[in-house]
Parts: sequence; structure tokens; C-alpha cells
Amino acid sequence: MITLSKANGQAEPLILQHKPPLGRRFRLEFKKNAIVYVFLIPILAHFLVFQIFPLAFSFVLTFMDWPIIGSPKYVGLANWSYFFQDEIAWKAIWNTVLFSVYYILPTMGMGLGLALLVNFGVKASGFFKSLYFLPVVTSFVIISGIWAWLFKGTEYGMINYILSWIGIDTQLFFSDSKQALPVLAALSVFKVSGSTMVYYYAGLKSIPSHLYEAAKIDGASKWRTFWRVTFPLLLPIHFYVAIITTIGSFQIFDSAYLITGGGPNYATTTLVYYLYEEGFTGLRLGYASVLAYILFFIIFAISLVQRKYLGKDVHY
Amino acid sequence: MTVSMKKNVFVYLMLMILGIIFFFPFAMMILGSLQKVERATADPLFWIPTNPTLYNFSYIMNQSSFVQWIKNSLVITIVPVLAQIFFGAVLGYIFAKKKFPGREFVFWTMMAVVMVPGQLLIIPKYVMFSQFGWINTYASIIVPELWAIMGVFLVRQFMMTIPKDLEEAAYMDGAGDFTIFFRIMLPLAKPAIATIGTFAFISCWNDLFTPLIFMTSEDMFPITVGLASILTKEGNFGVEMAGSAISFVPTFLIFIFFQRYFTEGIAMTGLKS
Repeated sequence: MITLSKANGQAEPLILQHKPPLGRRFRLEFKKNAIVYVFLIPILAHFLVFQIFPLAFSFVLTFMDWPIIGSPKYVGLANWSYFFQDEIAWKAIWNTVLFSVYYILPTMGMGLGLALLVNFGVKASGFFKSLYFLPVVTSFVIISGIWAWLFKGTEYGMINYILSWIGIDTQLFFSDSKQALPVLAALSVFKVSGSTMVYYYAGLKSIPSHLYEAAKIDGASKWRTFWRVTFPLLLPIHFYVAIITTIGSFQIFDSAYLITGGGPNYATTTLVYYLYEEGFTGLRLGYASVLAYILFFIIFAISLVQRKYLGKDVHY
Repeated sequence: MTVSMKKNVFVYLMLMILGIIFFFPFAMMILGSLQKVERATADPLFWIPTNPTLYNFSYIMNQSSFVQWIKNSLVITIVPVLAQIFFGAVLGYIFAKKKFPGREFVFWTMMAVVMVPGQLLIIPKYVMFSQFGWINTYASIIVPELWAIMGVFLVRQFMMTIPKDLEEAAYMDGAGDFTIFFRIMLPLAKPAIATIGTFAFISCWNDLFTPLIFMTSEDMFPITVGLASILTKEGNFGVEMAGSAISFVPTFLIFIFFQRYFTEGIAMTGLKS
């Protein structure tokens, strides 16, 4: 270390004097990292106010009776214990699970089928790929509006008209508590298949062609090649698509709100629809928060599954 | 006929059949909007126009509230789209290239909060916004949507592939942080930015749940809530379809011009489904 002798003979490390003055250092640091200070700090504040605080506050809300007008009241575990005896809440969870059953596998199968078809690469397959994707960008409101007319439960409904060609009697669809949920699930299959198609298409493109050639040399039929080569190699995509469609199915709301209003006889009251009714029609915000936490726990559990299995990569 | 020709015929046939099924609802919307029907008549094919007319369109455009709904939708879509593009780019740059203590912690905390469903946060937000006096204002929709971590993630992934030498050379030449960002990084990140923009547009324009809760007076409805209010009343088919068709136009234009970014973006991150 270089030292500087002073008149009194004491040595002081020169290194301090090599450093520019504080003001200049700030300027240099600012010049290098200005963008961090100018933008990250406000965004962090925004993150705390609009995401972290509401997250904490929603937990507090589950212990409160919180009317919009008037003063909030602490009710302890009353909202939570009410949930465990609330038959409609359990019915709503059951409906949501049923919806997932009707929705997940058809969406995955449809997406894979569309991807395989498009992947043949015949002329105009790009056009068809866009066409299949179109419902993904269309709002639930538009599709629900059309769906309600397509599946009108009278003999003048379009689907009933088509069914009559093959001798099937007029179905009630949305007015029948057994049919309403599957018909809503069909709407979601129609709306979402285009995006699962895109995942599968990307997956198909990433399978190296030498594997197909090897299968061909071994004399494997197309059918066998698909089940023995293509399908297993798509495993990471199957997992990913399964997880996102499951999470999506637990959040289903729009079509139930727009077409059936949760009915008939609570047959299409899904978890989020019930949360909406309790929170924003009944203004029981505390109880709605409990329902939201139940939704959160379910989605969290699904994401844990994803983390466990998606971490594993498949090697070709 | 050779085997491969037979196969092609089969593929085309399947593509066509599925294409007709996927297009059918849209055809019903477009044709139905051109048919003047007071009530659904006793005919399953009532939606095929016998006498094509733009009556439904002029009827709905003359409803003052409908035009207002479109305006509201434009406001609560365009502002978040521009803001999300900007903040997505800036924060993506910061998290990819800048070094500061706690960078990874902050980023992954933000990413983790994405797992919290929006339906959970909307209840406390409703209480907060009632206190702020934000119910029935654009702020309730726009302010929480000013940036989105998935967009940040997209740009971050993209910028991490840009070699470090580029910015270091610029810094040596005396360029400040802002210059480096705006002159070098931003132009390079265009594809990621286009993806953020298209996703933000579609999710804001199509959102029903959030405005359904925060916008309670009819003149503040966006088009989704407005159409929903027409649908849930026992409706006039032609007018419903005309309204749907109009609200579909911006989506369709975005889709036509930016389709590539949708499919790439979906494959990259799986934003929303």
C-alpha cells in the first residue's frame, strides 16, 4: 500500500484519496445503474401495494366480517368453519372437479390431434392452424353468446336440429342439470384446443427426425411409431399441458356466469362462480376470501406437482 | 392413386372437417349479425340471412352506451398495453443485465406471486379501491395492470442471450445506462416486445371478471361487460351478434398481424390459457 507522509509523520492510506469524492462516485454509479434506480424502485412499490399487500390483507379478511359500508368486525374462524359445513361450497368444488374431468383430456387429445394434422405439412396447413387458433384469442363473451344459441334446448336449436338428422331426441342442454356442465366444458375445449395444439406442435417439431428414420428402418408401422416414439417423447408437453389446463379449469367462471348463471339447481356453480356470488353479489367478502384461499391451495398443490415432475427433462 | 396421395386426401379431409367445425360459430356470428330477427323464429336456420341488412349494426351503434363501452375498452386496453410493453422491456433489461444485491430474490419473488390466482387478490383490491374511491374509474383496471411479470420474464430470457460485450463497449464509449437501454437493448428486444403487446392486448380486451367487479355503472362498462349485460337479458340474436362482431374486430386485426408472436409466445412461456 502506498502511504503518504504528512508533516507530523503519521501515515495515512493513500487509497482513500484515490477514490473520487462522494458526489462524483454517486454520479458515476448513477450513470452506470440509473435505470435500476429510476424504474425498479417505483415498480417495487407498485408490487408491494398491488400484490403483496392484497395477498396479506386477503388472509386477514378471512377472519373478518367486512361490509363495504359500516365497520369491519373480527369473527375469528367463523368463516373457515362455515366453509366446512357449506354444502354449496363443496358442491361447487365437486362441480369444478367434474368440469376438469370433462375438459382436460378432451382438450389435450384435441390439441394433439390438431397438431398432428397440421404437422403433416400439406399445403394450407398454416391457414388451418390459424383457424384452429382463432377461438383462443376470441373472448369468452363472444363464444358464450354463440354457444347459448347453438345449444338452445328446444327443437329449434342448431345442435338439436343436427342431432335430429341422426334420430336423437331434442336435448335440454343448459336447462338440464346433468348436461349443462358438459356443454360448458365443450365450450372451453373449443376455446382452448388451439393453444394446446401450439404446445404439441412445438413438441412435435423438437423430436429429431433420425428417431423416425430409425423406427422406419426397424420396419415399425406408422401407428406403432406414434405410440412407441412420438407419444412417449411428448411426455414433458403432456405434463405441461395437463398442468395448465388443470389450473385453467379450476378458474372457470366466464361461461358459467354468462350462460347458466350457476344453474340449473347449482349444477354449474363452479368454485370461482360461487366466490363471485358470495363476494360480490352477497357482499360477504370475508367468506369469499376463504373460498379464494381454497382455490389458491388447490392451484398451489397442482403447481407443486408440476415442479416435481417438470424439473425432470426427457433426453432423446 | 398412390399411398401418399391417399394420405394427403385424408389429411385434407380431416383439416377441412375440423376447419368447418371451428369456423361454424364464427360463421353463425357473422351471418346472424346480418339478419334482422326480433325473436328467434321457429326455425333452426333462422340465423342465415334471408334479407342481409346492416340494421343490427346501425341499431347497436346508435345506442349511446355501446359506443361508450367501446371507448372504455379502448382506454383500459391501450394504456396497459403500452405500459406493459415499456415496463416489460425496462425490467427485463434490469433483471437480465444489471447487477445489484437481491436481484434474483426480487425477480423470483415476483415470479412466485404469479401463482396466486387473480380471484384471490381481487377481493382485497375491491376493499382497497373502495377506500381509494376507485370503483367505477379507469384507475381500478389500469393501475394494477401497468406491468406484468410474465412480460418481464420474456424480455429477461431474451436479453440474457445478448452478449455482454455489446453493452460494455457502449459503456466504454461513454454511453450512459439510458442510452444503452434505448439505443441498443430496446431495438434488439423487438420480438419479445411484440409478444408482450399482443398478449396484453388480448387479455385486457377480453377480460370480463375484473371490470365486472370494479365497473358497476353502465357508462363505465367495457365491451365485455356491456355485451354480457345484453346476453344475460333474454336477447335479440341479431343485435347480440352485431355487438359481438364489432367487439371481435380489434382482436381479429391483432390476430392477423401479430399471429406469429402469439404462437411463439405461447410456446415460450405458456402465459395464459
